[in-house]
Amino acid sequence: MEKKSLIVKIVVLVIALVLALLSGIEFWQLRHYKETIVASEDLTEVKWFSDYVPSLKNTWMDTPVFIFDSGVEGGTVFVCGCPHPYEPASTMAAYLMIENLKVTKGRIIIVPRANYSGSTEGMVGDAYPMFFHVSSDWGISQYRIGDRYTNPLDQWPDPFTYVNYPSGQNLAYQDIRNLNRTYPGRENGTLTERAAYAVMEIIRQEHVDMAIDMHEAEILYPVTSTYVAPSKVLDREKFLATGEMEYYEPEKSSLDVAMMAGMNLSDQFLMKSASSPNTLHGLSHREWADWSDSLTFLMETPEIFIDKITGPRTEALMTEGKDEFLQKVTDKGLTYFPYDMEFGTPMWYRTGRHLTGALEVVYWASFFYPEMEVEVTWPTYLEMEELENQGVDSIGYFLKNPDAPENKDRAFTIYYKPVGANYDKY
Amino acid sequence: MIFFENLIHILYFVMAGLVLLSMLKSLFKRKKNKGVVFDIMYAYCLIPFLLRILYIK
Repeated sequence: MEKKSLIVKIVVLVIALVLALLSGIEFWQLRHYKETIVASEDLTEVKWFSDYVPSLKNTWMDTPVFIFDSGVEGGTVFVCGCPHPYEPASTMAAYLMIENLKVTKGRIIIVPRANYSGSTEGMVGDAYPMFFHVSSDWGISQYRIGDRYTNPLDQWPDPFTYVNYPSGQNLAYQDIRNLNRTYPGRENGTLTERAAYAVMEIIRQEHVDMAIDMHEAEILYPVTSTYVAPSKVLDREKFLATGEMEYYEPEKSSLDVAMMAGMNLSDQFLMKSASSPNTLHGLSHREWADWSDSLTFLMETPEIFIDKITGPRTEALMTEGKDEFLQKVTDKGLTYFPYDMEFGTPMWYRTGRHLTGALEVVYWASFFYPEMEVEVTWPTYLEMEELENQGVDSIGYFLKNPDAPENKDRAFTIYYKPVGANYDKY
Repeated sequence: MIFFENLIHILYFVMAGLVLLSMLKSLFKRKKNKGVVFDIMYAYCLIPFLLRILYIK
């Protein structure tokens, strides 16, 4: 090899390594960035997914589970945040609940980042910011946007077709890394299936009465701005004995509760109600109800950031949700949400919807079935709207400063393993 | 089953490492396509494999 040629190759390789270093630093930052929250004084216990499925310990799918027990007999509510990390109003709502909730009857169990691994990368092939920011009077907080699926660094390869267990339904190959397609999960399955199984075990072992799964959806998707709840549930005994899937109307109806909640919210925001199909498997609103005795609800807010026809995917698109292309499509009657670009779909609006949407479900379930009554408060949509009208960032208003001396004992770093001493105290 | 899942997962990292080595070899020692454009192509294409075996992306 000529000396000149060798020098060219080395120079080219060095340039490539510099590019790898530059991109690698960003990917590393996203992967290892740690968010910190301050739990409310009502926190009584912190568990982990690995307490329910031990094989998840020290994997990137382990994640903290915050438990708030009033000490007064009542029902138990489970709230699942971040099943799809690129729907971050779900996580923000969970954080605001954890930081501000007061429970006076029953128990609340909250998982703020159910697919932790998926939050540590962006969608492959989709260029968008790694983080978004929230302003408070004490500073600026940074949060990950994340992916829809479990990070391939943690679970790979995907099969040609994903077969959901135990329904046997064929789904798209990448759905094997989609937490909300792998329920009810398997104790010895893939990483995502084991996380799904951990969620099921929380619902079963903690005797959850109401389980709420928080999502966001494109406005070109019919099930946006909607509660999804089952009207019928699987006859588990018959399925396990014969393999035949037969559905019946349960004594306690999630759909009745969802419809009542949706109607009652109509003077605040549009919240439709849809019945969970019996034939679409792997989703929380189907499998949680089929494989536990809990009432089950999935909530969708309108998130235009994940619509495929928007302009540049910037942080502003995530936090403000203003896009002229979607306005044109809405004007032609092609979207499933009355989108108005003047207002957009801001983060506070979507977060507030989840907060009030969940409270409304808890209220009506408690009203219909007093034996599972839960009394709880956290920030509401109307409170946030009032703050926004005064020019205050309502999410930042309700976030606590983890560095403030009075909060130090209740500050928790959200990561796939315990960080800091506070986890040991609970 | 978890053992085999993990084994297959690790094998994919090993495969990424082998592809990386193959590209490095092709960058410095190849018989055809000796132009600098191909040097750039090999050097650029090894980046994702490098990031994968370093458990970054």
